[in-house]
Amino acid sequence: MGEGRTCLNGEAMATPPAHSGVMTSIQINGLTKRFGNVVAVDNLSFEVAQGSVTGFLGPNGAGKTTTLRMLLGLIAPTTGSSTITGKPYQELVDPFRHVGAVLESTSFHPGRRARDHLRVLCTAAGLPLTRADEVLDEVGLSEVGDRRVKGFSLGMRQRLGLAAALLGEPEVLILDEPANGLDPEGVHWLRNFLRFYADQGRSVLVSSHLLAEIAQTVDNVVIIAKGRLVIQSSLADLTDRTKPGVWVRTPQAQALRDALAAKGIAAELTTAETVMALETTTEDVGIVAAGAGVVIFEMTSKHFDLEEYFLELTTPTTDPINEGALR
Amino acid sequence: MKNLIHAELLKLRTTRMIYGLALAALAFVPLSVAGAIISAGKSGGGPALGTGEGIRGVMSAGSSGILTVLIIGILIIAGEFRHGTVTSTFLVSPKRGKVVGAKIVAAGLVGTGIAIVAAVLTLAISVPWLASKHIHLHILSHNVGMVLLGGIAATAIYAAVGVGVGSLIRNQTAAVVVALGWVLVAESLLISFAHEIGRWTPGGGAAALDGVSHHGLLPMWGGAVLFVAYGLLFAAGGTRFIMRRDVS
Repeated sequence: MGEGRTCLNGEAMATPPAHSGVMTSIQINGLTKRFGNVVAVDNLSFEVAQGSVTGFLGPNGAGKTTTLRMLLGLIAPTTGSSTITGKPYQELVDPFRHVGAVLESTSFHPGRRARDHLRVLCTAAGLPLTRADEVLDEVGLSEVGDRRVKGFSLGMRQRLGLAAALLGEPEVLILDEPANGLDPEGVHWLRNFLRFYADQGRSVLVSSHLLAEIAQTVDNVVIIAKGRLVIQSSLADLTDRTKPGVWVRTPQAQALRDALAAKGIAAELTTAETVMALETTTEDVGIVAAGAGVVIFEMTSKHFDLEEYFLELTTPTTDPINEGALR
Repeated sequence: MKNLIHAELLKLRTTRMIYGLALAALAFVPLSVAGAIISAGKSGGGPALGTGEGIRGVMSAGSSGILTVLIIGILIIAGEFRHGTVTSTFLVSPKRGKVVGAKIVAAGLVGTGIAIVAAVLTLAISVPWLASKHIHLHILSHNVGMVLLGGIAATAIYAAVGVGVGSLIRNQTAAVVVALGWVLVAESLLISFAHEIGRWTPGGGAAALDGVSHHGLLPMWGGAVLFVAYGLLFAAGGTRFIMRRDVS
């Protein structure tokens, strides 16, 4: 989908996606978590490359939060393991200096002032108290630092959470649905911030249930559904899969595919009776089919945007069209 | 560890809860001391003021703020789960045992502070009042000094018990209700009506350490040993439980 790429404007495009072979910042190895009979996370493995922004995507309830909490040592995995900067979180010395995490917008004492919240964390982490003022400034909360958190909007809480994560100037930043509650301007600010952060050679893992929300920012995506890995890919590869195409139902699927290939049109057999021709039009496919003497029962042009594709990846479906488009 | 203790103290200082509780605890001191002095020697009251037992009764009345410290201990940990701040607490210090330890120390320090102020208040009220009744207190005597010190020690240990209870019972309100119900109702009844059992309860130990004169209780040193053991038990149990708990 050309559109998705052009949205990646200016500086964002400058950073090449998917640094394969580069050091990994986060490594998840076969994590599984069962709550009673419910399998929240099911044998999940993926990694985050250093210096990249990785989007961690999945519908609500897919197991994103549970995965991040296991990664951060807050939830004990049933099986599996994970490391950040080479070590399990619990074994990091001064974890705040390595990893910053924003997990939810409500985890503040309502009666405590924003600056005090940060000072408490500075004290516990052995950081100078001046860091509290610096990060308040960084996230644009300097003026409300002396207010009690109960008067904060959701967006302000998100910023305060981010401020807390930045205290130790960590090399890895982990954010769980950070765009929740942010206004469009706030989302824009967040995107630029994450980009800026990763461009300094640091890594970001950011979860979201909306691909569109972070598609402009991420280099790589990890998509999960029902606790399982659906796909780990660079965003560029993912957008390649969402180019427009033509779906055809025909009893001569194999013959049609060969005929299309002969004309330089890429096509795949999606079932024994359906073909997906990529980056072409119904007119071209119709002409090729007529030339090859292929009978067509049904033909329709498909245009996917990234969001649709994401939905298809994460929603179980029996629709053969969608099944076909997946592969 | 030092950083964590400082952080816990800063947490306490930066919300209003601690000030309210400290005020409540200290406001209760004059009331109970005055009550003990007025009712002493009368039917339904404690032993007469002229006796050693009577003096101990007045002195131990000043430590009635210990319940407040139990509550502070509970809130210092259960409040973190209630507000979700436990997430960032455990992110800064993934070694949870240290966090619980820091909380016990912090609650104990605050509790001791409150107890010392309570002891000073007790003396400030009772010394002139009793002097007007021609009873002169010797602060270093067994009946005065030991009882006040015992009260301070009991208060500090109650902080550890509170942190343990707050760790074991997930819900902050439930933890406070259960703890107060146990101390104010169950233990009081046991100590009064079944002192063979009551003397072995945490409250029985604390009361003995506190110097409360009641025929069913252990001697002061026995109360001290018993109550310290309870403090360690609750702290260890709470820590163990917190270590395994998923924070979500």
